[in-house]
Amino acid sequence: MSATMSPAVPKPDHVADAAVYDFDMFADPAYVADPHKRILDLVKNAPPVFWTPRNGGHWMIMSHEANFAAARDIETFSSNFIPKERLAAMQAQMPRHLPMPLPINVDPPDHTKYRAPLQKVFSPKTINGLKDSIRELAGQLIDKIKADGKCDFMTSVAEPLPVVVFLKMLGLPLERMEEYREIVSQHLSDPTPNPIDSIKKLWRIVDSIKDTLEERRVNPQDDIISMLWKTEIDGQPMTMADMENYSVVLFIAGLDTVMNGIGHGVRYLATDLPLQDRLRQNPELVGEASEEMLRRFTFTVPPRIIGKDAVFNGLEMKKGERAMLFLPAADLDAKAFANPDTYNLDRENKTHIAFNAGVHRCLGSHLARVELQVCYEEMLARLPRFRLDPANPPTFHCGHVVGVSSLHLVWDT
Amino acid sequence: MKIRIEKASCAGNARCAAVSEELFPLNEDGYIAVDKVDVPEGKEQLARRGARACPERIIFIEEE
Ligand code: HEM
Repeated sequence: MSATMSPAVPKPDHVADAAVYDFDMFADPAYVADPHKRILDLVKNAPPVFWTPRNGGHWMIMSHEANFAAARDIETFSSNFIPKERLAAMQAQMPRHLPMPLPINVDPPDHTKYRAPLQKVFSPKTINGLKDSIRELAGQLIDKIKADGKCDFMTSVAEPLPVVVFLKMLGLPLERMEEYREIVSQHLSDPTPNPIDSIKKLWRIVDSIKDTLEERRVNPQDDIISMLWKTEIDGQPMTMADMENYSVVLFIAGLDTVMNGIGHGVRYLATDLPLQDRLRQNPELVGEASEEMLRRFTFTVPPRIIGKDAVFNGLEMKKGERAMLFLPAADLDAKAFANPDTYNLDRENKTHIAFNAGVHRCLGSHLARVELQVCYEEMLARLPRFRLDPANPPTFHCGHVVGVSSLHLVWDT
Repeated sequence: MKIRIEKASCAGNARCAAVSEELFPLNEDGYIAVDKVDVPEGKEQLARRGARACPERIIFIEEE
């Protein structure tokens, strides 16, 4: 992906000179070339909390302690980017329901209300029941490429796997997979779209699901859509607008993330053949290996808006400013993890915050963990030692999700 | 050994239960179901590991 640095904006007066550090979280060239290498460099050289003049100017929360504190201080670090009143005014201008990715973009108490119906559906218990079918889907994708001796892992496994899992869980027709993959890739193609384009993309997601939503309302089946129809929000029956909101959040939060998590993990595995050997001999270690993968290559950057004037980490922050919880740096902080740059399967403490902490802790973390672990297990079981293709090094893209764009692997057949 | 859990701050990571479902039971939503654990003899090491696994740092060993 081509990356052009955004222009630097002037520093506001209340930001101390020492708190300024120039970093473009979308387009810094070294970052886009090899994201986690650049993050290690930032962890060493940038302040634990800093203000960057790029992308309109915003705070970057870097250290583990600061991210941990920010995730809990929801009054200062709010997720409520658009106030309710403005949202209602926007909605009044729209020809149809404006889907909202609830509960990700609201603070408690609304957050609690909208998250509650989803909890049980994504609990460890429910998700464990899906493990076998996820394994089967992963196995099918890997078997398809096995004889080729090479693949672009992103397009052949990492991207389709979460899409088929999503379709299966929601009870959407699997034959429509290509259509959904197309919507995902369109959704991802422009990481900083204008607001109208983003709304149109959300409508496209809803359009692709709406017939199934309507059908399940009258003919419940064994899937999430049917389960959600039977749930209430704060004592009120579920409406079509609520269902559109949930469909959109699951689409946005559950596909791109898993795909890139698998990408980072498999890229690392392809560079560490002794680790592959050890895991092939001891498949029971893959769960732990997957946790250390999440820590070493934490890859999401949740945004916040400063909800009130505050002093955080000794720095003055003003209401309305934006802050990024730069979780990838938190999990590479030497104060939290000894020798953070080392991938260490035997590290005892792997309490990373790749899924963030506090009330917005990833709702899909149990599902994501199963998808990642099962995918690594099946790759290791079905393929011999796989390596990076020296002729085609991996490429990346950066933003709120730090992702793998292409990952060419080779193996002996 | 006795363990105290700040149940209200549980964010549902379920990492404690990944170490031991028996010591750290979860409710239907996947959040911790108890605020105290009386650790049976012989399970101390497991209990310590479960406490350390909590990303929210809300599991405390009260009595060794
Ligand atoms: C490895 C994969 C994944 C990673 C690293 C990840 C990461 C995250 C993070 C960091 C947050 C917190 C956002 C914030 O604080 O603003 C979050 C929230 C969320 N995630 Fe995930 N996620 C992953 C997979 C999934 C999956 C598979 C689903 C569902 C199908 C999902 C659904 C959600 C939802 C609904 C939220 C909002 C929760 C809330 O605001 O209460 N995620 N995720």
